[in-house]
Amino acid sequence: MGAASRPTSGGCSGYPAIDSINRVPSVLAAFLALAATTVAAANDGLASMRAAGVMRWGCDISGGAPFAFPDPSDPDRVIGFEVEIAEDLARRLGVRAERYSADWLALIDGLEAQRCDLLINGFEVTADRARVVAFSSPYFRYAQQLVVRAEDRDRFTSLAALAGSPIAVLNGSASIESLRTAGVPRSLIVEYDDSLAPFTETLLGRVDACLQESFIARFFAGHDERLALVEQTFDPGEYGVVVRKSDGTLLAEVNAALSAMRADGTLGRILQRWGLWNDAQRELGTERGPEVAAIPEAIGTPPADGLPWSLILWSLARAAAMTALLTVVSMPIATFAGLWLAIAILHGPKPLSRLCHGYVLVTRGTPLLVQIFLLYYSLPALGTWLGVPELLTWNKVVVGIVCLAANYAAYEAEIHRAALQAIPRSQWDAAGALGFTPRQTLRFIVIPQSWRLSLPAIINDLNSLIKDSSLVSMIGVQELLAVALGIGKASFAVPSMLVAAAAFYLVLSLLADWFGHSLERRARAVQALPEPIPR
Amino acid sequence: MSTPALEARQLRKHWPQSGQVLDGCTVRVERRTVHALIGASGSGKSTLLRCLGLLERPDAGSILFEGVTAADGPVVSNDPRVRRCVGMVFQEPNLFPHLTALGNVWLAPHRVLGLDPGEARERARMTLDRVHALHLADRRPDELSGGERQRVAIARALAMEPTVLLCDEPTSALDPMLTREVMAVLRELALDAGTNMVVVTHDMDFVAAAADSVDFLHAGRIRVSGSTDVLGTRGLDAELDRFLQRS
Repeated sequence: MGAASRPTSGGCSGYPAIDSINRVPSVLAAFLALAATTVAAANDGLASMRAAGVMRWGCDISGGAPFAFPDPSDPDRVIGFEVEIAEDLARRLGVRAERYSADWLALIDGLEAQRCDLLINGFEVTADRARVVAFSSPYFRYAQQLVVRAEDRDRFTSLAALAGSPIAVLNGSASIESLRTAGVPRSLIVEYDDSLAPFTETLLGRVDACLQESFIARFFAGHDERLALVEQTFDPGEYGVVVRKSDGTLLAEVNAALSAMRADGTLGRILQRWGLWNDAQRELGTERGPEVAAIPEAIGTPPADGLPWSLILWSLARAAAMTALLTVVSMPIATFAGLWLAIAILHGPKPLSRLCHGYVLVTRGTPLLVQIFLLYYSLPALGTWLGVPELLTWNKVVVGIVCLAANYAAYEAEIHRAALQAIPRSQWDAAGALGFTPRQTLRFIVIPQSWRLSLPAIINDLNSLIKDSSLVSMIGVQELLAVALGIGKASFAVPSMLVAAAAFYLVLSLLADWFGHSLERRARAVQALPEPIPR
Repeated sequence: MSTPALEARQLRKHWPQSGQVLDGCTVRVERRTVHALIGASGSGKSTLLRCLGLLERPDAGSILFEGVTAADGPVVSNDPRVRRCVGMVFQEPNLFPHLTALGNVWLAPHRVLGLDPGEARERARMTLDRVHALHLADRRPDELSGGERQRVAIARALAMEPTVLLCDEPTSALDPMLTREVMAVLRELALDAGTNMVVVTHDMDFVAAAADSVDFLHAGRIRVSGSTDVLGTRGLDAELDRFLQRS
């Protein structure tokens, strides 16, 4: 992966599974790239876009301001300078803009899997990326800027003055390359997964400075008097719209629209509104246009009249409903699929038993995240290859549910297996002597008993699934944790949003426990016989 | 001579660990009789009974229920009509813990015989009544005493109306009081209802009172076979004498 100038959804949450996302794309890169070339060759982006009347543009809304982020005063709305660029671009192309959300690191995979038509989300034009995708002419120019503690303002006035001091950067960002080029040794470059962390670490004194793209530095540190921006910026770079390499005609149209946007002052106005305008933009041929004041959201301070909690809680409640939906649909599937797997392993014919055992081993032995990526990005490619692209291009919620169910089925299978094996052999003897077939014995005698034994462990997994469901935010499902992080970053209130999300998780978990206990009570009670047929 | 209710010819069975357990056993149970299998522990009685109940495959020999082949060497019939000819009562009652006493008796007539739920329920109640356990119908197995559980297990087997009821030391897990309770039920079934029965037992009083014929097993062979009169005759077989002396 190339530079990432965006805050990612990992890091500040301290959620280990999400941090591991950074490794996934590189693991899958070869596979996905291979799959994507098949897809990309299949059709022309512009033609299908025009036919649908929709431009699906990709971004990560949990990345924070000022790109594309939930409006702090109305978290349901997504705002940002790239939202405005996308909407104007779509208008000029004669179509409607439709946002496609996914984790930033997975956006290019989504583009190549035809999940969207183009990406507008702080993608720096780099040679590495240009080998994989095509870039439009740039719409924004940035430079690197150092941020230090206020008391060090006079001591650290340049990168040279920081010689020998550790410097914090965003994981995988262009800032790293800048520091390396300037001769800073690898050991002094400290990487963080989240764009806020470098500032926090500087404040805490774990590092002496942090390096970010200038407007991000201004956005996050400009309003904080404990931090100071080093005047001198360096190493300029540019953002471009990303399209698939095969979409030459779309690229030409996008370039034409961007030129018009630059020339008629539209782009200049957007950048001014978001406090991003500077003279460097003129070098790209962008006209400033008439003077426009920056909007409050662009200044990078929390809303003056406090957080709009009622709106935020409503957003979180709906995100919690998505989390609940993922859980409520996938867990029963996982439980029953797990039971069938366990039965097949214990009682099935040898080849089926081995196959199912293999499924359990492979599914439990590989990360859920990898499974989600494979199903979301590679299955459409397989569908295209087989000539049935619609059949295998599933909605992200469906992919999420299928992945969670398939993954948990493997764990539930082991729980069921242990419980089935715990039913004494004598029960089978008694059933066999009464003439029950093995199938009837399982259904009427063994499973009703093993179910009681497996239930507590299954309810335990249900609790864990509620929290694991946050992994599907990687493919853009707006579930609880993703929404909380998105709102948190946009309104500089990540800790309070995480606490709020935790409270929602706790409620869901308590509901799951209550449900589990009532199931256990029912399972413990003797089964009632059907009423006699009235004569 | 009429076709016997149950006939086993030259049954052989060996276990990999313990070697030959049945060494050519031939058993013949006439209709409307109670047949006792006696012998010391480890003589092969239980294995013989499990073979007769089609729960184990014999290595060789054959088993016939009313003249119909149920097992021919290791090939055991899967025909439910054949398998239904035998019912079995084990040392432990092995009741299904997730069902009431009534449910235990009801399940097989409904699920295996396909009786409708109401009909199966009627049959279950009648059968529980035969073992004087109707008042226990709604109890769970863990709410029953050992003797009560074994009576419900007997009812469960009887509800399938088997041609032959096989009982494997049904009182060995019970204390003397409960043993009397269960044996009384079996005796009643045998004497009043004319149920065909094969009973593995140590209870010589029961054999004397209720059994019509007896086989004495020793080391996997049937040493003495005949009417219960043989038990009163000494000197037929040294092992039988020794066994009777001990019990």
